[in-house]
Amino acid sequence: MTQTPAPYIALSGVRKAYRIGGEMMPIFAGLDLAIPRGDFVAVMGPSGSGKSTLLNMLAGIDRPDAGTLSIGTSRLDQMGEAARSAWRAHNMGIVFQFYNLLPMLTAAENVELPLLLKPLSRKERRMRVEKVLDLVGLSGREKQYPAMMSGGQQQRIGIARAIVSDPGLLLCDEPTGDLDRKSADEVLDMLRFLNRELEKTIVMVTHDPQAALYARRTLHLDKGDFVEEKRAA
Amino acid sequence: MSTHTRQALVMIRTNLSSLPRRSAISASMALSVALVVCVLAGFLSMAKGFETALSGAGSPAVAVVLGGGTNQETGSDIPATVIRTLDAMTGDLGVARDAGGKLVSSREIVAPVDLSQRTMALRGMDAAGPSIRDGITISAGRIFTPGAREIVAGNRLAEEFGLQVGDTVRLGAVDWTVVGHFSAHGSAFESELWADLEAVRAAFDRQGQVQSLKLRLADPASLKRLQGALATITETPLVAVSEADLYAAQSGRTASLIRLFGWPVALLMAVGATAGALNTMTSSVSDRTVEIATVRALGFSRLSAFLGTWVEAVVLAGAGVFLGLLASWLIFNGWQASTIGANNARMAFQLAVTPDVLLTAGLLGLAIGILGGALPALAATRLPLTAALRARG
Ligand SMILES: Nc1ncnc2c1ncn2[C@@H]1O[C@H](COP(=O)(O)OP(=O)(O)OP(=O)(O)O)[C@@H](O)[C@H]1O
Ligand SMILES: [Mg+2]
Repeated sequence: MTQTPAPYIALSGVRKAYRIGGEMMPIFAGLDLAIPRGDFVAVMGPSGSGKSTLLNMLAGIDRPDAGTLSIGTSRLDQMGEAARSAWRAHNMGIVFQFYNLLPMLTAAENVELPLLLKPLSRKERRMRVEKVLDLVGLSGREKQYPAMMSGGQQQRIGIARAIVSDPGLLLCDEPTGDLDRKSADEVLDMLRFLNRELEKTIVMVTHDPQAALYARRTLHLDKGDFVEEKRAA
Repeated sequence: MSTHTRQALVMIRTNLSSLPRRSAISASMALSVALVVCVLAGFLSMAKGFETALSGAGSPAVAVVLGGGTNQETGSDIPATVIRTLDAMTGDLGVARDAGGKLVSSREIVAPVDLSQRTMALRGMDAAGPSIRDGITISAGRIFTPGAREIVAGNRLAEEFGLQVGDTVRLGAVDWTVVGHFSAHGSAFESELWADLEAVRAAFDRQGQVQSLKLRLADPASLKRLQGALATITETPLVAVSEADLYAAQSGRTASLIRLFGWPVALLMAVGATAGALNTMTSSVSDRTVEIATVRALGFSRLSAFLGTWVEAVVLAGAGVFLGLLASWLIFNGWQASTIGANNARMAFQLAVTPDVLLTAGLLGLAIGILGGALPALAATRLPLTAALRARG
């Protein structure tokens, strides 16, 4: 047995290119990355540097062209679409910049969505939804529709949806990009709480240096590679 | 409930509740389906109504003898000698005989007459004519008296032309008195006028003519024996068919013609409606791109994305089917139509929107949704998630 456990998230030699026009545009040409369980990593970098692409690969939404990508015991780079879809349902929560709530579902119904993928009774689902809505400070708003809520409230619903099935990994793509400072700080406090108290591993893409301060460490992505690492004090 | 069912159900629900965002194009799809359903139901109920009118007309226990090598009343001629020979035959002809031992028969001719500028059939018959037929009842007045210029009018014809008992109508060169109405359970006979054989012969200068001979069979199976007896008469080719077969053959031809015309029209329109459905559902998928990509990112299956979209298409088509069937039923059921029937006379019938007409038209409508929705539903499962999730950003 080794003393240092294998990292929770491990990327090695990951290559990714997109076809833009007729040409292949390389985004990553051999990316390595290791994130231990329980970490809270902020990923920063200029627009187009591949932050969302990285996050999408971690989420199993996108696939590396080459290299290995493992999370926990799963080799995401080797899984087909159906397997990754099932993996997503059970292993990670995702928070979007624009919340991506379904407008015709109530807050509670939006939060319930990931639970529909699990063999839970209606009662168990309702209890879990109530619990996470309470956690994000929105209990009593079950029946409200997203359109009736502020951006900050909608993002907290988004976070509730991401954690309702209790995944170990939380992926956030600019979760505060569309929020004012006060709402952003509330959301970031919540993420820090989830990391510190509930031991979620969090990878958060952000443009906001203030937001990055909430993370345990910050990675800077530029020209397809990490150029700098800064540890929070 | 399995997680697959739950995924599909929530997708279907969210799709359907987002329909108001696409109300115009969704309504146009439903309406085009309704139109196709309506057109097909119209043709089919016309064919059906025609069949119903004629099938009611024929009894299997009545034989129709036609002469001169034709198998329809028009153009048929039975020489008087043939009838004398037949009457003289003793033994079992398969035909019912009255108390006096005479064959129960009616000699008949049909004269086309103009009634309010439309050609109708005036049938001259022996006194036994009405009673030989099945299901004939005098619904008003009385039957014509032999030798008199009196007519009884079929209920449908009487209603259409407003012929009252006691009215006088001019048919050919002479006046006739309407003395009664008869009912034939809505069958084609109700489009005819009936009168005494001799009176019609005299009025239309057709002395001595017989076009068809109606005989009451002892039972439906005894037609064979009658045919055997007729075969011994060699002076003119004679055929004997059951009245039921005679009218069925006639209605079969016309009904097939109506269907032969109706189906291609409806199918052609259905192709157009399917293209419309394809278009509607494609725009539905693009309208829901972010929603689909979002739930897929959460781990929803491709199948749920497919079903959600497909069911939406089928529901829209179903709404169209419902509308179309309702409209067909309201518009067509009981609608009077007419066609040139036997003897080149006009025959009225009612369109019949029967359950099988509704079923057939409804299935065609649903097929539009099933086919038109399948490709866009497949597209919904192939949505590139990364691009879809970027679309909002
Ligand atoms: N689905 C796609 N098809 C084609 N090109 C893509 C796709 N996704 C990303 N790209 C390209 O890959 C590069 C990296 O995109 P990515 O979204 O990862 O950048 P980012 O760092 O998240 O940028 P931003 O800060 O603007 O969100 C960009 O040049 C982008 O145009
Ligand atoms: Mg991005």
